[in-house]
Amino acid sequence: MIWAALLALLVLSLVAAYVPMGRMTTASGIIIAGVKSTLVVLLFMELASAKPLVRIAAISGLVFVIAMFALTFADVLARI
Amino acid sequence: MSDQSALLREPWLDFGRQREAGKFGIWVFLASETLFFGALMLTYTVCRIEHPEAFAAAGRETNVWYGTINTAVLLTSSLTMAIAAQASEASAQLRRLVLACLMLTAMLGLAFIVIKGFEYKEDIDKQLVPGAGFALSHPGAQLFYGFYWLVTGVHAIHLSIGIALVSRLFWVLLRRQLPAKDNPEIEVTALYWHLVDIVWIFLYPLIYLPGRAS
Amino acid sequence: MTDALLAGELPLPPRPDYLRHGSTISSWLATTDHKRIAILYAITITFFFFLGGAAITAVRLELFQPNGWLLTSDTYNKLFSFHGIIMVWFFLVPSIPNTLGNFLLPLMIGAPDVAFPRLNLFSWYLTVAAGAFTVYALVAGGVDTGWTFYTPYSSMFSNTHVFAAAAGVFVVGFASIATGVNFIATTHMLRAPGMTWFRLPLFVWAIYATSLIMVLATPVLAISLLLVIAERVLGLPIFDPARGGDPILFQHLFWFYSHPAVYIMVLPAMGVVSEIIPCFARRRIFGYDFMVYAMLAIAGVGFFVWGHHMFVSGQSALASLVFSFLSFIIAVPSAIKVFNWTASLYRGQISFESPMLYALGFVGLFTTGGLSGLFLASIPVDIHVTDTYFVVAHFHYIMVGGSVSAFFAGLHFWWPKVTGKLYPESWAKFAAILMYAGFNMTFLPQFFAGYLGMPRRYHTYPAEFQIYNVMSSAGAAVLAIAYLLPLGYLTWSLFYGGKAAKNPWGATGLEWTTGSPPPPKNFDRQPRVDRGPYDYHAEGMSAGTDPPEMQNARETR
Repeated sequence: MIWAALLALLVLSLVAAYVPMGRMTTASGIIIAGVKSTLVVLLFMELASAKPLVRIAAISGLVFVIAMFALTFADVLARI
Repeated sequence: MSDQSALLREPWLDFGRQREAGKFGIWVFLASETLFFGALMLTYTVCRIEHPEAFAAAGRETNVWYGTINTAVLLTSSLTMAIAAQASEASAQLRRLVLACLMLTAMLGLAFIVIKGFEYKEDIDKQLVPGAGFALSHPGAQLFYGFYWLVTGVHAIHLSIGIALVSRLFWVLLRRQLPAKDNPEIEVTALYWHLVDIVWIFLYPLIYLPGRAS
Repeated sequence: MTDALLAGELPLPPRPDYLRHGSTISSWLATTDHKRIAILYAITITFFFFLGGAAITAVRLELFQPNGWLLTSDTYNKLFSFHGIIMVWFFLVPSIPNTLGNFLLPLMIGAPDVAFPRLNLFSWYLTVAAGAFTVYALVAGGVDTGWTFYTPYSSMFSNTHVFAAAAGVFVVGFASIATGVNFIATTHMLRAPGMTWFRLPLFVWAIYATSLIMVLATPVLAISLLLVIAERVLGLPIFDPARGGDPILFQHLFWFYSHPAVYIMVLPAMGVVSEIIPCFARRRIFGYDFMVYAMLAIAGVGFFVWGHHMFVSGQSALASLVFSFLSFIIAVPSAIKVFNWTASLYRGQISFESPMLYALGFVGLFTTGGLSGLFLASIPVDIHVTDTYFVVAHFHYIMVGGSVSAFFAGLHFWWPKVTGKLYPESWAKFAAILMYAGFNMTFLPQFFAGYLGMPRRYHTYPAEFQIYNVMSSAGAAVLAIAYLLPLGYLTWSLFYGGKAAKNPWGATGLEWTTGSPPPPKNFDRQPRVDRGPYDYHAEGMSAGTDPPEMQNARETR
């Protein structure tokens, strides 16, 4: 089931990449990747039924990646 | 339970607690790995923002079929790994299922590496290695391939470690050196395996999909 | 009743302590006992400390004269680079966490060991392997990039052994991550019954906060060095501007680790001082909760300030503005801690034993370093003093005046617990005062030289700065003696020191309830905790208000 959904999303992102939508083409690929990883994390890695402590550990990595991107963009996007 | 006492390690007195700590520990490590690959993807993103056309042109040169098939292979390996982990938790009767799924997972991982090898060969033939004689003229395109070789290499190293861990686990369980039921090593290895899969899920649109629409 | 049990007053079968529990070489090199691994680490970092110290001795000798009388420019560059790399990654980062932290964390939370003992040993072997890489880089001819490995110099132009040095730092990063994972899991999973989060000693909180930074920041250092190696060795274009790369991106990645790394170095020092000041003031720590929140805030906000190292790098004005603002913010929790340490002294019964002298030295030097940091957070001043000795003085006040003083404070405080021996107190006091004096003699003149415009990392300098450099080099000689003294008398105490009792300082804390040195599994009985960490007097009272028998009961718990 999950596996079928993952493969369907893979095909969807492949197809979407060939549709010219400007910036949305790139965004669609990343968003679908996000959905796929959410499925893997929640169901294969059983985060949906994990203890709060484990969830915090899992989210902390994501939070600091976002901070790293955001503050670097404060430089890069304002520089070019 | 005798199964659990065979798996109990210093300094733990309680098996449930030990299992919980192992799971928590690997999740903390995965958070660390998130930052590791996050930093690589930040490098990619910054370079792509600075050279959008070059990245589109370079992305078109990758072989999207190898990439898509490999993504499907890895997603399937995650499925078999998840089945192995859940079967080990569910019942001691499912030992054979655990073993079969572990073997399948390792085979799929190997298949990924073999396919990747064919892809590398094609890339070398197409002169997509940055340096003298590089196929594309735009300077930013070399950055794309610098990232491509580095990140697929780092991912392949992670995957190889995963294959080694799964194979070792398969061997230990096959020889009945450790019970399969509730074995924390299965759970921990599975979590690591899924992370390697997730990294690839994100690399797929970054490497294979740019520049397809135009 | 439980107190009697905890004090070990019931007869127990005699058992050897952890130092005498096996004496072969392999019983040390294959040990999974956190206390023995702490000793292995202590020996390793002592070696690196004196190695890095030797390099900087040559540098300070050179700077006696403005004209470069002793070393060539190349050798000079290699020596200060080696000093930085060794001191940051092979001494300061592992110093308190991997020696005192490794030894004390399980003892303080009442656990028999860390959560993953074999991982703990593995991390020591990684450190040794990484150290071998780095020392090889020196022996083979050195590396001249500075400890920061800035691109494109490191990745394209430097003709020195960048690969070996970067590989060494890359590997020691994994040792750091392994330690961090281990300590986080230990703190969450192995606390003794009754040891709630807000009964944890502040040292445990400090180690916990440090571990969070280690786990979340170190991988980015690994990536930044991996990219340098890829560009340099494999020829992949990453930062090369000629091929479209962005060298400033390296600085973002590098400082995303290396600024939080400052907190990896100083948070454990804060933890040590938070244990020592209450003990020698016989006071509860002032504002325990705020101390905890301040440490977590420092660990968290520390991730968001890295750009203040890059004000002159060419990053956007917007980024500089954001990073400057965030850098001022982080002064708030640091100031809370300084105020709370001083407030803890108020109405205390203060005695000035050697650990306390070191700890008070820490508070003064850390405050000076922290306040000079505010100058550097403000963009106009920073642009004036960037890459001058002002910056050198600032971070040495934090890292050497702060962290190293606290390391020595902790070393003296827990020495009787670790070795079971007493050191000569008057020598220790003398060394503590000498260290404080020598440190200020060395680094205070550098503030002036830097403010007047003397750039760092130069081998020759205008003659007008010679007076400051002579003062600094003379101070460095005093400081060197102050560092050698403990090596002498602490080693002496191992053989001739008196036997230490269970709790020589009358301190609270679980580590003082077990033997000195502790048995292999730390506690003969599972400890139970029913009170807060700094129970030196009844709540709401001041030091010494309890009747003596109460105080005695508390001291031995």
